[in-house]
Amino acid sequence: MGSDALTIENLEKYFPPARTGWKTLVQPFTRATVCALAGISFAVGRGEVLALIGANGAGKSTLLRIIATLLAPTRGRAAVAGFDVEREPARVRRELGFHTGGDTGFYARLSARENLQFFATLNNLAGDPAARRIREVADLLALGEMMDRQVRTFSTGMVHRLGLARALLHAPTLLLLDEPTRSLDPLAAAEFRRFLKNEVVLQRGTALVFASHTLAEVEELANRVALLDGGRLLACDTVPRVLASAGAATLGEAVERLTLRAHQETRE
Amino acid sequence: MNLRRALRTLWAFFRRDLAIARSYRLLFLLEPIEMLFAVATFFYLSRFVQSTELTRALPRGMNYFTFALVGLAFFDYLNVAFSAFEQSLDQARRNGTLEALLVTETPLPVMLVGSALYPFTLTALRTAVYLGWGMFVFGFPWRAANWPGALAVLLVSILAFAGLGVLSASYLLVFKRGNPARWLFIGASALLGGMMYPISVLPQTLQVAARLVPITYSLEGMRGALLQGASFGELWPSLRALLLFAVVFLPVSFAAFAWALRRTKVTGTLTHF
Repeated sequence: MGSDALTIENLEKYFPPARTGWKTLVQPFTRATVCALAGISFAVGRGEVLALIGANGAGKSTLLRIIATLLAPTRGRAAVAGFDVEREPARVRRELGFHTGGDTGFYARLSARENLQFFATLNNLAGDPAARRIREVADLLALGEMMDRQVRTFSTGMVHRLGLARALLHAPTLLLLDEPTRSLDPLAAAEFRRFLKNEVVLQRGTALVFASHTLAEVEELANRVALLDGGRLLACDTVPRVLASAGAATLGEAVERLTLRAHQETRE
Repeated sequence: MNLRRALRTLWAFFRRDLAIARSYRLLFLLEPIEMLFAVATFFYLSRFVQSTELTRALPRGMNYFTFALVGLAFFDYLNVAFSAFEQSLDQARRNGTLEALLVTETPLPVMLVGSALYPFTLTALRTAVYLGWGMFVFGFPWRAANWPGALAVLLVSILAFAGLGVLSASYLLVFKRGNPARWLFIGASALLGGMMYPISVLPQTLQVAARLVPITYSLEGMRGALLQGASFGELWPSLRALLLFAVVFLPVSFAAFAWALRRTKVTGTLTHF
Protein backbone atom coordinates (compact mmCIF):
# COMPACT_ATOMS: atom_id res chain seq x y z
CA MET A 1 0.00 0.00 0.00
CA GLY A 2 1.42 3.40 -1.02
CA SER A 3 2.00 6.08 1.58
CA ASP A 4 -0.25 8.63 -0.11
CA ALA A 5 -4.01 8.64 0.33
CA LEU A 6 -4.40 10.21 -3.10
CA THR A 7 -2.11 10.52 -6.11
CA ILE A 8 -3.02 12.52 -9.20
CA GLU A 9 -0.66 12.39 -12.20
CA ASN A 10 -1.11 14.48 -15.36
CA LEU A 11 -4.85 14.15 -15.12
CA GLU A 12 -6.87 15.48 -18.07
CA LYS A 13 -10.59 15.58 -18.63
CA TYR A 14 -12.43 16.69 -21.75
CA PHE A 15 -16.22 16.78 -22.19
CA PRO A 16 -18.19 16.76 -25.42
CA PRO A 17 -19.61 20.22 -26.20
CA ALA A 18 -23.17 20.81 -24.92
CA ARG A 19 -25.88 20.38 -27.58
CA THR A 20 -29.46 21.56 -27.79
CA GLY A 21 -32.54 20.48 -29.75
CA TRP A 22 -32.30 17.34 -31.88
CA LYS A 23 -28.50 17.44 -31.62
CA THR A 24 -28.80 16.16 -28.01
CA LEU A 25 -29.41 12.76 -29.64
CA VAL A 26 -25.88 12.71 -31.04
CA GLN A 27 -24.31 14.39 -27.98
CA PRO A 28 -23.33 11.09 -26.30
CA PHE A 29 -21.31 10.19 -29.41
CA THR A 30 -19.70 13.59 -29.95
CA ARG A 31 -15.94 13.91 -29.58
CA ALA A 32 -14.86 15.36 -26.23
CA THR A 33 -13.22 18.70 -26.99
CA VAL A 34 -14.10 20.94 -24.02
CA CYS A 35 -11.25 20.96 -21.52
CA ALA A 36 -12.26 20.63 -17.86
CA LEU A 37 -8.92 19.51 -16.41
CA ALA A 38 -5.51 19.99 -18.02
CA GLY A 39 -2.52 18.04 -16.74
CA ILE A 40 -3.24 18.14 -13.01
CA SER A 41 -0.68 16.51 -10.68
CA PHE A 42 -0.47 16.45 -6.88
CA ALA A 43 -0.55 14.03 -3.97
CA VAL A 44 -2.32 14.04 -0.61
CA GLY A 45 -0.80 12.21 2.34
CA ARG A 46 -2.73 10.21 4.93
CA GLY A 47 -4.29 12.50 7.52
CA GLU A 48 -3.67 15.55 5.35
CA VAL A 49 -6.31 18.13 4.36
CA LEU A 50 -6.30 19.62 0.87
CA ALA A 51 -8.75 22.32 -0.20
CA LEU A 52 -9.68 22.76 -3.85
CA ILE A 53 -10.42 26.38 -4.60
CA GLY A 54 -11.22 28.36 -7.73
CA ALA A 55 -14.09 30.01 -9.56
CA ASN A 56 -17.18 28.16 -10.77
CA GLY A 57 -16.19 25.91 -13.67
CA ALA A 58 -12.57 25.74 -12.52
CA GLY A 59 -12.72 21.93 -12.43
CA LYS A 60 -13.07 21.25 -8.68
CA SER A 61 -16.19 19.10 -8.85
CA THR A 62 -14.94 17.32 -11.97
CA LEU A 63 -11.74 16.41 -10.16
CA LEU A 64 -13.65 15.14 -7.10
CA ARG A 65 -15.95 13.03 -9.30
CA ILE A 66 -13.04 11.46 -11.15
CA ILE A 67 -11.47 10.49 -7.82
CA ALA A 68 -14.87 9.10 -6.70
CA THR A 69 -15.02 6.94 -9.89
CA LEU A 70 -18.15 8.80 -11.08
CA LEU A 71 -16.35 10.28 -14.10
CA ALA A 72 -13.77 8.71 -16.37
CA PRO A 73 -10.55 10.68 -16.93
CA THR A 74 -9.58 11.34 -20.54
CA ARG A 75 -5.86 10.91 -19.85
CA GLY A 76 -3.55 10.63 -16.87
CA ARG A 77 -3.96 8.74 -13.63
CA ALA A 78 -5.68 9.06 -10.26
CA ALA A 79 -5.12 6.57 -7.46
CA VAL A 80 -6.65 6.29 -3.99
CA ALA A 81 -4.50 4.48 -1.43
CA GLY A 82 -2.55 3.13 -4.41
CA PHE A 83 -5.60 1.81 -6.29
CA ASP A 84 -6.19 3.18 -9.78
CA VAL A 85 -9.64 4.75 -10.27
CA GLU A 86 -9.94 3.33 -13.78
CA ARG A 87 -8.54 -0.15 -13.30
CA GLU A 88 -9.63 -0.91 -9.72
CA PRO A 89 -12.77 1.18 -9.09
CA ALA A 90 -14.22 -1.28 -6.56
CA ARG A 91 -11.05 -1.12 -4.41
CA VAL A 92 -11.05 2.67 -4.71
CA ARG A 93 -14.65 2.89 -3.52
CA ARG A 94 -13.75 0.78 -0.49
CA GLU A 95 -11.15 3.40 0.47
CA LEU A 96 -13.20 6.56 0.02
CA GLY A 97 -16.16 8.41 1.42
CA PHE A 98 -17.90 10.95 -0.81
CA HIS A 99 -20.37 13.60 0.24
CA THR A 100 -21.73 16.49 -1.76
CA GLY A 101 -23.07 19.47 0.12
CA GLY A 102 -26.64 19.16 -1.17
CA ASP A 103 -29.62 18.35 1.03
CA THR A 104 -30.74 15.38 -1.10
CA GLY A 105 -29.25 11.94 -1.56
CA PHE A 106 -31.37 9.97 0.90
CA TYR A 107 -34.64 8.07 0.84
CA ALA A 108 -36.89 10.70 2.39
CA ARG A 109 -39.53 8.28 3.67
CA LEU A 110 -37.01 6.04 5.43
CA SER A 111 -35.57 6.84 8.82
CA ALA A 112 -31.97 7.95 9.17
CA ARG A 113 -31.16 4.54 10.65
CA GLU A 114 -32.80 2.67 7.76
CA ASN A 115 -30.89 4.83 5.28
CA LEU A 116 -27.56 4.20 7.00
CA GLN A 117 -28.29 0.46 7.34
CA PHE A 118 -28.99 0.27 3.61
CA PHE A 119 -25.81 2.08 2.59
CA ALA A 120 -23.78 0.12 5.17
CA THR A 121 -24.90 -3.14 3.54
CA LEU A 122 -23.89 -1.79 0.15
CA ASN A 123 -20.47 -1.11 1.65
CA ASN A 124 -20.16 -4.66 2.94
CA LEU A 125 -21.06 -3.85 6.55
CA ALA A 126 -23.88 -5.89 8.04
CA GLY A 127 -25.21 -7.32 11.28
CA ASP A 128 -23.65 -6.34 14.60
CA PRO A 129 -20.57 -4.58 13.15
CA ALA A 130 -22.88 -2.40 11.02
CA ALA A 131 -25.18 -1.61 13.96
CA ARG A 132 -22.14 -0.75 16.11
CA ARG A 133 -20.64 1.45 13.42
CA ILE A 134 -23.95 3.23 12.81
CA ARG A 135 -24.22 3.92 16.53
CA GLU A 136 -20.65 5.25 16.56
CA VAL A 137 -21.07 7.66 13.65
CA ALA A 138 -24.52 8.73 14.88
CA ASP A 139 -23.03 9.58 18.29
CA LEU A 140 -20.08 11.28 16.65
CA LEU A 141 -22.38 13.51 14.61
CA ALA A 142 -24.94 14.03 17.38
CA LEU A 143 -27.64 12.27 15.39
CA GLY A 144 -28.52 9.81 18.14
CA GLU A 145 -32.04 10.96 19.01
CA MET A 146 -33.02 11.58 15.42
CA MET A 147 -32.00 8.23 14.01
CA ASP A 148 -35.51 6.79 13.95
CA ARG A 149 -37.13 9.81 12.35
CA GLN A 150 -37.91 9.91 8.62
CA VAL A 151 -35.30 11.90 6.72
CA ARG A 152 -38.02 14.07 5.15
CA THR A 153 -38.47 15.71 8.57
CA PHE A 154 -34.77 16.67 8.79
CA SER A 155 -33.41 20.19 8.43
CA THR A 156 -30.69 20.86 5.84
CA GLY A 157 -28.04 20.79 8.54
CA MET A 158 -29.23 17.41 9.80
CA VAL A 159 -29.19 15.96 6.28
CA HIS A 160 -25.63 17.25 5.99
CA ARG A 161 -24.61 15.45 9.13
CA LEU A 162 -26.33 12.32 7.93
CA GLY A 163 -24.46 12.60 4.62
CA LEU A 164 -21.18 12.83 6.45
CA ALA A 165 -22.20 9.88 8.66
CA ARG A 166 -22.80 7.83 5.53
CA ALA A 167 -19.46 8.85 4.04
CA LEU A 168 -17.69 7.82 7.27
CA LEU A 169 -19.56 4.54 7.83
CA HIS A 170 -16.90 2.28 6.37
CA ALA A 171 -13.98 4.23 7.91
CA PRO A 172 -12.51 5.47 4.61
CA THR A 173 -8.87 6.39 4.02
CA LEU A 174 -9.90 9.42 2.01
CA LEU A 175 -12.93 11.66 2.47
CA LEU A 176 -14.10 13.77 -0.48
CA LEU A 177 -16.44 16.67 0.19
CA ASP A 178 -17.91 19.00 -2.40
CA GLU A 179 -18.75 22.35 -0.80
CA PRO A 180 -19.45 20.75 2.55
CA THR A 181 -20.97 23.80 4.26
CA ARG A 182 -22.81 25.25 1.24
CA SER A 183 -26.26 25.24 2.80
CA LEU A 184 -25.40 25.50 6.47
CA ASP A 185 -25.92 28.56 8.65
CA PRO A 186 -22.68 30.13 10.04
CA LEU A 187 -23.04 28.45 13.43
CA ALA A 188 -23.70 24.99 11.99
CA ALA A 189 -20.87 25.49 9.47
CA ALA A 190 -18.39 26.34 12.23
CA GLU A 191 -19.49 23.29 14.21
CA PHE A 192 -19.19 21.12 11.11
CA ARG A 193 -15.63 22.36 10.45
CA ARG A 194 -14.61 21.71 14.06
CA PHE A 195 -15.97 18.20 13.78
CA LEU A 196 -14.14 17.54 10.53
CA LYS A 197 -10.83 18.77 11.89
CA ASN A 198 -10.93 17.19 15.33
CA GLU A 199 -12.87 13.97 14.88
CA VAL A 200 -12.26 13.00 11.28
CA VAL A 201 -8.78 14.24 10.48
CA LEU A 202 -6.90 14.51 13.76
CA GLN A 203 -8.45 11.63 15.66
CA ARG A 204 -9.00 9.14 12.84
CA GLY A 205 -6.22 10.15 10.46
CA THR A 206 -8.58 10.33 7.50
CA ALA A 207 -7.26 12.34 4.55
CA LEU A 208 -9.67 15.05 3.47
CA VAL A 209 -10.02 16.68 0.07
CA PHE A 210 -12.75 19.27 -0.17
CA ALA A 211 -13.91 21.89 -2.63
CA SER A 212 -15.03 25.23 -1.25
CA HIS A 213 -15.72 28.84 -2.14
CA THR A 214 -15.46 29.90 1.52
CA LEU A 215 -11.86 30.98 1.95
CA ALA A 216 -12.10 31.36 5.73
CA GLU A 217 -13.15 27.72 5.84
CA VAL A 218 -10.21 26.78 3.66
CA GLU A 219 -7.75 28.60 5.92
CA GLU A 220 -9.24 27.01 9.02
CA LEU A 221 -9.21 23.45 7.75
CA ALA A 222 -6.61 22.91 5.05
CA ASN A 223 -2.94 22.03 5.34
CA ARG A 224 -2.58 22.90 1.66
CA VAL A 225 -4.70 24.54 -1.02
CA ALA A 226 -4.93 23.66 -4.71
CA LEU A 227 -6.00 26.63 -6.83
CA LEU A 228 -7.69 25.66 -10.08
CA ASP A 229 -8.61 27.91 -12.98
CA GLY A 230 -10.09 26.74 -16.27
CA GLY A 231 -8.96 23.21 -15.50
CA ARG A 232 -5.35 24.18 -14.81
CA LEU A 233 -3.62 23.87 -11.45
CA LEU A 234 -2.20 27.33 -10.68
CA ALA A 235 -0.86 26.55 -7.21
CA CYS A 236 -0.75 23.67 -4.76
CA ASP A 237 0.90 24.57 -1.49
CA THR A 238 0.40 25.67 2.10
CA VAL A 239 -1.50 28.93 2.60
CA PRO A 240 1.61 30.94 3.70
CA ARG A 241 3.53 29.79 0.62
CA VAL A 242 0.63 30.56 -1.71
CA LEU A 243 0.42 34.04 -0.15
CA ALA A 244 4.18 34.49 -0.58
CA SER A 245 4.20 33.35 -4.20
CA ALA A 246 1.39 35.78 -5.01
CA GLY A 247 2.81 38.59 -2.87
CA ALA A 248 -0.60 38.85 -1.20
CA ALA A 249 -1.82 39.50 2.33
CA THR A 250 -4.96 37.39 2.20
CA LEU A 251 -5.98 34.19 0.46
CA GLY A 252 -8.69 36.04 -1.47
CA GLU A 253 -6.11 38.47 -2.78
CA ALA A 254 -3.74 35.62 -3.66
CA VAL A 255 -6.46 33.82 -5.63
CA GLU A 256 -7.24 36.97 -7.56
CA ARG A 257 -3.56 37.76 -8.35
CA LEU A 258 -2.60 34.22 -9.35
CA THR A 259 -5.70 33.88 -11.54
CA LEU A 260 -5.09 37.21 -13.27
CA ARG A 261 -1.42 36.33 -13.77
CA ALA A 262 -2.42 33.01 -15.37
CA HIS A 263 -4.90 34.77 -17.67
CA GLN A 264 -2.25 37.28 -18.75
CA GLU A 265 0.25 34.50 -19.48
CA THR A 266 -2.40 32.71 -21.56
CA ARG A 267 -3.09 35.87 -23.59
CA GLU A 268 0.64 36.42 -24.20
CA MET B 1 -18.51 -10.39 -4.34
CA ASN B 2 -19.43 -13.79 -2.93
CA LEU B 3 -22.93 -15.28 -3.10
CA ARG B 4 -23.74 -14.65 0.56
CA ARG B 5 -22.87 -11.00 0.29
CA ALA B 6 -24.75 -10.65 -2.99
CA LEU B 7 -27.89 -12.14 -1.39
CA ARG B 8 -27.51 -9.88 1.65
CA THR B 9 -27.26 -6.87 -0.64
CA LEU B 10 -30.29 -7.96 -2.69
CA TRP B 11 -32.26 -8.35 0.53
CA ALA B 12 -31.23 -4.81 1.55
CA PHE B 13 -32.69 -3.45 -1.70
CA PHE B 14 -35.89 -5.41 -1.16
CA ARG B 15 -36.24 -4.16 2.43
CA ARG B 16 -35.59 -0.60 1.31
CA ASP B 17 -38.36 -0.71 -1.29
CA LEU B 18 -40.77 -2.51 1.03
CA ALA B 19 -40.19 0.06 3.78
CA ILE B 20 -40.80 2.92 1.33
CA ALA B 21 -44.00 1.24 0.02
CA ARG B 22 -45.25 0.62 3.56
CA SER B 23 -44.82 4.28 4.38
CA TYR B 24 -47.72 4.93 1.96
CA ARG B 25 -50.11 2.81 4.03
CA LEU B 26 -53.45 3.61 2.42
CA LEU B 27 -52.23 2.88 -1.11
CA PHE B 28 -50.70 -0.36 0.15
CA LEU B 29 -54.05 -1.47 1.57
CA LEU B 30 -56.34 -0.29 -1.21
CA GLU B 31 -54.58 -1.93 -4.16
CA PRO B 32 -56.15 -5.41 -3.69
CA ILE B 33 -59.59 -3.79 -3.75
CA GLU B 34 -58.75 -2.07 -7.04
CA MET B 35 -57.75 -5.48 -8.42
CA LEU B 36 -61.09 -6.96 -7.38
CA PHE B 37 -62.81 -4.33 -9.50
CA ALA B 38 -60.61 -5.20 -12.49
CA VAL B 39 -61.32 -8.95 -12.13
CA ALA B 40 -65.06 -8.33 -11.71
CA THR B 41 -65.06 -6.15 -14.85
CA PHE B 42 -63.49 -8.98 -16.83
CA PHE B 43 -65.91 -11.51 -15.39
CA TYR B 44 -68.98 -9.58 -16.50
CA LEU B 45 -67.40 -8.60 -19.81
CA SER B 46 -66.70 -12.29 -20.51
CA ARG B 47 -70.36 -13.15 -19.82
CA PHE B 48 -71.37 -10.48 -22.27
CA VAL B 49 -69.03 -11.57 -25.08
CA GLN B 50 -69.27 -15.36 -24.54
CA SER B 51 -70.45 -17.08 -27.74
CA THR B 52 -70.05 -20.37 -29.58
CA GLU B 53 -67.63 -18.75 -32.04
CA LEU B 54 -65.48 -17.39 -29.23
CA THR B 55 -65.41 -20.72 -27.39
CA ARG B 56 -64.35 -22.39 -30.64
CA ALA B 57 -61.49 -19.90 -31.11
CA LEU B 58 -60.16 -20.42 -27.56
CA PRO B 59 -57.85 -23.33 -26.71
CA ARG B 60 -59.54 -26.38 -25.19
CA GLY B 61 -60.79 -26.06 -21.62
CA MET B 62 -60.80 -22.23 -21.52
CA ASN B 63 -63.59 -19.72 -21.37
CA TYR B 64 -63.05 -16.06 -22.13
CA PHE B 65 -62.90 -15.02 -18.47
CA THR B 66 -60.07 -17.41 -17.56
CA PHE B 67 -58.26 -16.70 -20.83
CA ALA B 68 -58.40 -12.93 -20.37
CA LEU B 69 -57.62 -13.03 -16.65
CA VAL B 70 -54.36 -14.91 -17.24
CA GLY B 71 -53.56 -12.49 -20.07
CA LEU B 72 -54.22 -9.46 -17.88
CA ALA B 73 -52.32 -10.79 -14.85
CA PHE B 74 -49.19 -11.86 -16.71
CA PHE B 75 -48.95 -8.96 -19.12
CA ASP B 76 -48.12 -6.96 -15.99
CA TYR B 77 -44.75 -8.71 -15.86
CA LEU B 78 -43.75 -7.31 -19.23
CA ASN B 79 -44.75 -3.81 -18.12
CA VAL B 80 -42.83 -4.20 -14.86
CA ALA B 81 -39.76 -5.62 -16.59
CA PHE B 82 -39.64 -2.55 -18.78
CA SER B 83 -40.40 -0.04 -16.05
CA ALA B 84 -38.61 -1.48 -12.98
CA PHE B 85 -35.03 -0.76 -14.05
CA GLU B 86 -35.90 2.54 -15.71
CA GLN B 87 -37.92 3.79 -12.75
CA SER B 88 -35.33 2.79 -10.23
CA LEU B 89 -32.64 4.63 -12.20
CA ASP B 90 -34.84 7.66 -12.72
CA GLN B 91 -35.85 7.83 -9.05
CA ALA B 92 -32.23 7.53 -7.95
CA ARG B 93 -31.33 10.44 -10.20
CA ARG B 94 -34.25 12.54 -8.99
CA ASN B 95 -33.82 11.95 -5.26
CA GLY B 96 -30.05 12.39 -5.56
CA THR B 97 -29.11 8.88 -4.40
CA LEU B 98 -27.56 7.77 -7.69
CA GLU B 99 -24.09 9.11 -6.93
CA ALA B 100 -24.30 7.80 -3.36
CA LEU B 101 -25.17 4.34 -4.71
CA LEU B 102 -22.45 4.38 -7.33
CA VAL B 103 -19.68 5.19 -4.85
CA THR B 104 -20.47 2.11 -2.75
CA GLU B 105 -18.64 -1.20 -3.15
CA THR B 106 -21.68 -2.95 -4.62
CA PRO B 107 -21.25 -3.93 -8.29
CA LEU B 108 -23.73 -2.43 -10.71
CA PRO B 109 -25.36 -5.70 -11.86
CA VAL B 110 -26.23 -6.49 -8.22
CA MET B 111 -27.76 -3.02 -7.87
CA LEU B 112 -29.83 -3.51 -11.01
CA VAL B 113 -31.14 -6.89 -9.89
CA GLY B 114 -31.73 -5.56 -6.38
CA SER B 115 -33.74 -2.60 -7.66
CA ALA B 116 -35.99 -4.89 -9.70
CA LEU B 117 -36.60 -7.39 -6.90
CA TYR B 118 -39.41 -5.56 -5.15
CA PRO B 119 -41.35 -4.56 -8.29
CA PHE B 120 -41.23 -8.16 -9.53
CA THR B 121 -42.28 -9.51 -6.14
CA LEU B 122 -45.11 -7.00 -6.00
CA THR B 123 -46.23 -8.08 -9.47
CA ALA B 124 -46.16 -11.71 -8.34
CA LEU B 125 -48.39 -10.71 -5.43
CA ARG B 126 -50.68 -8.76 -7.75
CA THR B 127 -50.93 -11.81 -9.98
CA ALA B 128 -51.73 -13.98 -6.98
CA VAL B 129 -54.40 -11.48 -5.88
CA TYR B 130 -55.88 -11.37 -9.41
CA LEU B 131 -56.02 -15.16 -9.56
CA GLY B 132 -57.19 -15.34 -5.94
CA TRP B 133 -60.16 -13.09 -6.63
CA GLY B 134 -60.83 -15.13 -9.78
CA MET B 135 -60.73 -18.41 -7.86
CA PHE B 136 -62.65 -17.50 -4.75
CA VAL B 137 -65.23 -15.13 -6.18
CA PHE B 138 -65.63 -15.96 -9.86
CA GLY B 139 -64.93 -19.68 -10.14
CA PHE B 140 -61.51 -19.63 -11.83
CA PRO B 141 -60.60 -23.36 -12.21
CA TRP B 142 -57.44 -24.02 -10.20
CA ARG B 143 -57.56 -27.71 -9.32
CA ALA B 144 -56.28 -28.91 -12.70
CA ALA B 145 -53.40 -26.42 -12.83
CA ASN B 146 -49.75 -27.50 -13.07
CA TRP B 147 -48.45 -25.00 -10.48
CA PRO B 148 -44.74 -25.99 -10.71
CA GLY B 149 -45.05 -25.66 -14.48
CA ALA B 150 -46.61 -22.20 -14.11
CA LEU B 151 -43.80 -21.19 -11.76
CA ALA B 152 -41.19 -22.39 -14.28
CA VAL B 153 -42.85 -20.39 -17.08
CA LEU B 154 -42.99 -17.35 -14.80
CA LEU B 155 -39.31 -17.51 -13.81
CA VAL B 156 -38.09 -17.98 -17.37
CA SER B 157 -40.43 -15.20 -18.55
CA ILE B 158 -38.94 -12.83 -15.97
CA LEU B 159 -35.45 -13.64 -17.25
CA ALA B 160 -36.57 -13.05 -20.84
CA PHE B 161 -38.32 -9.77 -20.02
CA ALA B 162 -35.57 -8.47 -17.69
CA GLY B 163 -33.12 -8.25 -20.57
CA LEU B 164 -35.51 -5.93 -22.39
CA GLY B 165 -35.90 -3.83 -19.24
CA VAL B 166 -32.15 -3.41 -18.77
CA LEU B 167 -31.81 -2.44 -22.44
CA SER B 168 -34.48 0.19 -21.92
CA ALA B 169 -32.67 1.52 -18.82
CA SER B 170 -29.46 1.75 -20.85
CA TYR B 171 -31.28 3.95 -23.34
CA LEU B 172 -32.54 6.16 -20.51
CA LEU B 173 -29.04 6.46 -19.09
CA VAL B 174 -27.60 7.76 -22.36
CA PHE B 175 -30.50 9.77 -23.80
CA LYS B 176 -32.20 10.84 -20.52
CA ARG B 177 -35.74 10.44 -21.85
CA GLY B 178 -38.04 7.43 -21.80
CA ASN B 179 -37.32 4.89 -24.46
CA PRO B 180 -39.74 5.27 -27.41
CA ALA B 181 -38.98 1.66 -28.41
CA ARG B 182 -40.40 0.61 -25.06
CA TRP B 183 -43.88 1.85 -25.93
CA LEU B 184 -43.60 0.39 -29.39
CA PHE B 185 -42.61 -2.98 -27.96
CA ILE B 186 -45.29 -3.00 -25.27
CA GLY B 187 -47.91 -1.91 -27.82
CA ALA B 188 -46.78 -4.58 -30.26
CA SER B 189 -46.77 -7.19 -27.48
CA ALA B 190 -50.33 -6.25 -26.47
CA LEU B 191 -51.43 -6.51 -30.08
CA LEU B 192 -49.53 -9.64 -31.05
CA GLY B 193 -48.94 -11.54 -27.81
CA GLY B 194 -52.48 -12.81 -27.27
CA MET B 195 -53.27 -10.93 -24.09
CA MET B 196 -57.00 -10.50 -24.77
CA TYR B 197 -57.57 -12.86 -27.71
CA PRO B 198 -55.90 -15.97 -29.09
CA ILE B 199 -53.31 -15.18 -31.75
CA SER B 200 -55.16 -17.55 -34.11
CA VAL B 201 -57.63 -14.72 -34.81
CA LEU B 202 -54.82 -12.53 -36.22
CA PRO B 203 -53.99 -12.39 -39.95
CA GLN B 204 -51.30 -14.87 -40.99
CA THR B 205 -48.49 -12.27 -41.22
CA LEU B 206 -49.24 -10.99 -37.71
CA GLN B 207 -49.30 -14.55 -36.42
CA VAL B 208 -45.74 -14.93 -37.73
CA ALA B 209 -44.78 -11.59 -36.11
CA ALA B 210 -46.32 -12.80 -32.82
CA ARG B 211 -43.61 -15.48 -32.69
CA LEU B 212 -41.00 -12.73 -32.38
CA VAL B 213 -42.25 -11.33 -29.05
CA PRO B 214 -41.56 -13.22 -25.81
CA ILE B 215 -44.95 -12.49 -24.23
CA THR B 216 -46.59 -14.84 -26.79
CA TYR B 217 -44.67 -17.82 -25.39
CA SER B 218 -45.13 -16.62 -21.84
CA LEU B 219 -48.93 -16.44 -22.14
CA GLU B 220 -49.14 -19.71 -24.07
CA GLY B 221 -47.11 -21.47 -21.39
CA MET B 222 -48.95 -19.85 -18.52
CA ARG B 223 -52.40 -20.64 -19.91
CA GLY B 224 -51.30 -24.18 -20.68
CA ALA B 225 -50.01 -24.70 -17.14
CA LEU B 226 -52.84 -22.96 -15.30
CA LEU B 227 -55.89 -23.71 -17.40
CA GLN B 228 -55.06 -27.00 -19.10
CA GLY B 229 -52.70 -28.55 -16.54
CA ALA B 230 -50.08 -29.01 -19.29
CA SER B 231 -47.12 -31.23 -18.37
CA PHE B 232 -43.52 -30.00 -18.49
CA GLY B 233 -43.15 -31.84 -21.80
CA GLU B 234 -46.06 -29.87 -23.24
CA LEU B 235 -44.71 -26.63 -21.80
CA TRP B 236 -41.20 -27.21 -23.14
CA PRO B 237 -41.68 -25.38 -26.51
CA SER B 238 -42.73 -22.21 -24.62
CA LEU B 239 -39.99 -22.62 -22.02
CA ARG B 240 -37.35 -23.20 -24.72
CA ALA B 241 -38.36 -20.08 -26.65
CA LEU B 242 -38.32 -17.95 -23.49
CA LEU B 243 -34.92 -19.34 -22.51
CA LEU B 244 -33.61 -18.43 -25.95
CA PHE B 245 -34.86 -14.85 -25.51
CA ALA B 246 -33.19 -14.73 -22.07
CA VAL B 247 -29.89 -16.12 -23.37
CA VAL B 248 -29.81 -13.51 -26.14
CA PHE B 249 -31.18 -10.47 -24.30
CA LEU B 250 -29.55 -10.73 -20.85
CA PRO B 251 -25.85 -10.63 -21.86
CA VAL B 252 -26.56 -8.05 -24.56
CA SER B 253 -28.49 -5.86 -22.13
CA PHE B 254 -25.84 -6.00 -19.39
CA ALA B 255 -23.14 -5.19 -21.94
CA ALA B 256 -25.28 -2.31 -23.23
CA PHE B 257 -25.80 -1.01 -19.69
CA ALA B 258 -22.08 -1.20 -18.91
CA TRP B 259 -21.37 0.69 -22.14
CA ALA B 260 -24.05 3.28 -21.37
CA LEU B 261 -22.68 3.83 -17.87
CA ARG B 262 -19.15 4.17 -19.20
CA ARG B 263 -20.43 6.64 -21.80
CA THR B 264 -22.11 8.81 -19.14
CA LYS B 265 -18.87 8.77 -17.14
CA VAL B 266 -17.04 10.02 -20.22
CA THR B 267 -19.62 12.68 -21.10
CA GLY B 268 -20.29 13.68 -17.49
CA THR B 269 -24.05 13.24 -17.83
CA LEU B 270 -24.59 10.54 -15.22
CA THR B 271 -26.84 12.61 -13.01
CA HIS B 272 -28.45 14.72 -15.74
CA PHE B 273 -32.19 14.43 -16.36
